[in-house]
Order: sequence, then structure tokens, then C-alpha cells
Amino acid sequence: MKALNKLPVLLNEYRQLCWLVLLLFIPIFVFGHNISENNARFVESINGPAAMPFMYLGAKHMVTGYDHLLFLFGVLFFLHRFKDVFLFVTIFTLGHSITLMLGVLLEVNVNVFLVDALIGLSVVYKAFENLDGFKQVFGKQMDARAAVFVFGLCHGLGLATKLQEFSLSNNGLVTNILSFNIGVEIGQAIALAFILVILSQWRRIKLFQSHAFVSNSLLMSLGFMLTGYQIAGYMST
Amino acid sequence: MDLVTYKKGHILIATGIAFLVAVVMLLTLILPAEFDIDPLGTGQLLGLKGLSAKAPKAVTMEEVKYHEDSVSFILQPFESVEYKYQLRKGSSLLFSWMATNSLTFDFHGEPEGGPEGFAESYSVGKSKLENGTFTAPFSGIHGWFWENRASEAVSVVLTTTGYYSETLIFREGTVRKQVLSN
Repeated sequence: MKALNKLPVLLNEYRQLCWLVLLLFIPIFVFGHNISENNARFVESINGPAAMPFMYLGAKHMVTGYDHLLFLFGVLFFLHRFKDVFLFVTIFTLGHSITLMLGVLLEVNVNVFLVDALIGLSVVYKAFENLDGFKQVFGKQMDARAAVFVFGLCHGLGLATKLQEFSLSNNGLVTNILSFNIGVEIGQAIALAFILVILSQWRRIKLFQSHAFVSNSLLMSLGFMLTGYQIAGYMST
Repeated sequence: MDLVTYKKGHILIATGIAFLVAVVMLLTLILPAEFDIDPLGTGQLLGLKGLSAKAPKAVTMEEVKYHEDSVSFILQPFESVEYKYQLRKGSSLLFSWMATNSLTFDFHGEPEGGPEGFAESYSVGKSKLENGTFTAPFSGIHGWFWENRASEAVSVVLTTTGYYSETLIFREGTVRKQVLSN
């Protein structure tokens, strides 16, 4: 009887968690994380500045990009002060914007799979850092801000390779990359809103700390999977 | 920020398990499903293998009679013409056209029952020739618009083979339609 009385409380406690699990799995349904063929055909026919299509593609890429989402999730996991959230998101944004712009403009040629494998490793890194692994196992840790900046650069390179997959016209190129970039930030803001709401709800649960250990281990595992997936992609092409 | 610090041993175990789980997931599920690589045979076992197997539909059977046509025509300066072929969705057309000078062209299709004047372009540009295979994305009429924007006459040879049931020629506001025997 006593246990039954506790059930609503327990359900309520775990409701937030259920939402989180659901949210985590949404991106898996969009596993094909490249800009679709129809989009590509349309984009390649564009000759000149076209802000809206590129902005839309940028936002779509971010919202459906589980690799970027998982990394953001890891970055925000222990940040509960607005100041910290703002700082880290700004650093990440700065990092990926730099390499997105320069990568496309300077026609930097990097392998899509290898960059995405590196992005997978960024998820592993962040999860391991969240577990306090660097301090406990190696006794030292790179500044968390510096790490987010460096991995921001990797994520930006990944974004650049996605844009480079189609032959973009030089006409209006800067406008189009900027639009794509703005779209990415809009998508990131949408993703952030979800992640922050879920994390702030989750922190209210007493078991958050033990959940944190398991979740970051799971996050690390997902990072390894992403990396393996991309390496397999690299080997099979 | 963290009130609890985790023990070194726990972190190492968690990392090991995370890596192991990832490797197992990759080998048993992800590689078979995504790349058709099945090192442990689990893809076969679970029916995942084949999800991403590349098996393009190589053969399309046709009900329409086979046609081979070669036409040649001359375009005077600033004259234009359209050659269109009625094709069923999924049906192919092998084509080759060659002109004595560059022409502005638009290879496009109009779907059956589509809105008046609606067309989808497949290939647009300025060229002396194009060779290729076309597979109709929808049932309708598909073909080329050519325009001679130069000051000299251009002669064109167009060769098509495929399973079309009608040919249409649009020239100077008139349409010449030819329904082919089946």
C-alpha cells in the first residue's frame, strides 16, 4: 500500500527523464545526416544570393544533427548558471563559425567522414571530461573553454564539408555561407532551448548525480558509436 | 560545481563499458544495417543485413513498342523549336543531339494532367551537343527546347531511342503531334 502511494511521486520524478530519453532518440530517425538529394539539386541551381534556403538548410542541419546535439548536451550537462551557458555557447559558436566560413571560402579539402569521426570523438571527450576522467585518471585537464573552442573548430569544419558537397556558385557565396551560418545558430538556439529545459527539470531529481554518471557514460558510448560509424564510412568509400 | 567526485576506478570501468557497448553495437547492428558489413553474422540473424545493400533496379520492362528516330532540322537566327516525347514514369530515353553551332537549350518535362504551362527542367544551358540517358521522373511529355541566338543558321541532328508513344514538334506556334503505333 505504501509503495502504491509513492507511485505517482515516482512517476512524476521520472517523467522528465522519459522526455529526455525520447528527445535523445529523435535524431536517430534521421540517421542519414547529409543534405538530401532534392535539396542538393535545388541548391546547385542557385546562382546568386539566396538567404532563406541556405538559412533553412543550416537550421535543419543543426536540429537534425545528432552529433552536434550530443556535443551540446555534453557541454551543457553541468552548466546551470546562465553566465556559464552563455559563455560556453558563445565559444562554441565562435569556433564553428570561423571554420565554416574559412573552410568554404578557402576551399579547404577535408574528408567528410574523418571530420565527422573527429566530431564523434568530441562527444567522447566531453563525456569523459564530465565524468571528471581527465583529472582523476590523468591528473590534469585542458581548460574546458579551450576544449570547447577547439572542438567548435572541428564542428565548423564538418559544417563546411556539408556545404562543399555541392558545387556552390561563387555568385553570392559569402551571403549564402553567412545565411547558412545564421541558420545553424537558429537551429542551435532551438536545440539549446530543449536541452536546457530538460536539464533544468532533470537536476530537480534527487538522483541527478548518479544519473549523471550513467548518462555521461552513455553519451561517451554514443560518441564512440558515431566515431566508429564514420570510420566505417571512410573505409567503405 | 560538482558536489560528487567520481572514483578513478569507476570512471575507467565506465569508459571501458562505454567503449565495449559501442563496439558491440557497431559490430552487431550498425555496420550490418548501414554498410552491409556483417562480421559476426548478426545482421543475417536479425534480418538487418540488406537494409543498405546496393541493389539498383537494373531492368525496367516496357509495354510500349521500341522506337528509334533520327531527325535533322535547321534553326534560322532567333528561331526556336521543341521536340518532345511521351514517356511513362520510369521509362528511359537514350538521346544524342549535335548542332553545328552553340544553341540555348532547355531539356524539360511536363507532367500529365499538370497545370497549364508547368514544366520541370532537367538540363539547361548553352551547348553544341548533349548525349545521355534519361529516365522519366513522371509520366508526361519530355524533351528539348532549342533556340538559335546567333546570327547564322544552325543545323541540328537529334537521335532518340526508347519507349515513347507519341512525338510532338512545336514550331512557330504550331504543334505537330504524331501518335506512334503500338
